[in-house]
Amino acid sequence: MGDCHSLGDCDDNRIVRLYEYLDGALSLKDLNEVKAHLEHCAECAEEYDLECIIRSVVRRSCQEIAPDTLKSKIITRISEIRVESGHA
Amino acid sequence: MGVLLAESPAPSAARLRVDLAVMTEHIQGTDTVPVANETEAQRRERFERDALQYVDQLYSAAMRMARNPADAEDLVQEAYTKAYSAFHQYKPGTNLKAWLYRILTNTYINLYRKRQREPLRTGTDTVEDWQMAKSAEHTPQGLRSAEVEALDHLPDSDVKNALQSIAEEFRLAVYFVDVEGFPYKDAAEILGVPIGTVMSRLHRGRKQLRELLADYAHERGIGPAQKTQGAPTPGAEKK
Repeated sequence: MGDCHSLGDCDDNRIVRLYEYLDGALSLKDLNEVKAHLEHCAECAEEYDLECIIRSVVRRSCQEIAPDTLKSKIITRISEIRVESGHA
Repeated sequence: MGVLLAESPAPSAARLRVDLAVMTEHIQGTDTVPVANETEAQRRERFERDALQYVDQLYSAAMRMARNPADAEDLVQEAYTKAYSAFHQYKPGTNLKAWLYRILTNTYINLYRKRQREPLRTGTDTVEDWQMAKSAEHTPQGLRSAEVEALDHLPDSDVKNALQSIAEEFRLAVYFVDVEGFPYKDAAEILGVPIGTVMSRLHRGRKQLRELLADYAHERGIGPAQKTQGAPTPGAEKK
């Protein structure tokens, strides 16, 4: 695992560190540290790639298009609210 | 002289009128109209312009909550109706999308979870629990590099099923951070839980999701799961 200790002392900590890196939750200093590590550690780089793929697959699969009628239904309901509050 | 004096105030008054017109136009053209001074029509126009652009995204999130298109549609309608009623509470310039997601999540919890009579599984995801789980398990990778390719080609239906089969609180944390890309802080506000809880839910949710996706990749017969050729089926062996 090379010098993966810089990312965490066990597999799970290492993954948490990668999560934080991917989530943009690290300070600039820590971020650069992980970035530098990924450049020369094949194992962590593979883990990183896998996480990226999972995220892009999940993101891709969750793209839904709302039914055409939904927007107009919402607009109708909103206009009803306006009428109601206008009378109140 | 007299003529000059009489004429001189005229241009500056005209310029003043122009300046005021420009200013008024400028103010009306931005989101900084004091919300209190807004007419009902202006408010509705602002809502339709700013909030309704997220309808596909809210619907996508609702599909991860309600699990079927009809319920998801109802949920989004209900959330937008509530959002409009509360729109005077929204502070222009703050994250409108996050605000809408917060309302959607609350609507879902109040409307649907009650209907489903699902108990709220709190207490299972405290930071302490998470840390204990962390040290106990030694992260089965779940996926080998050969399967990464297979994973990338999984049909959407498999990925949705995998996501749907993880616990709701984990699923929503994964959805808001990994799909929608919200920072932990925003996800915490949307879900109404502390940041630490979001992180623990994320950790568990991602791990479960990864394992499930690995299973789907195996089932699709892509990758090392094909090792079945070495192990004959029990039925064939007995004959």
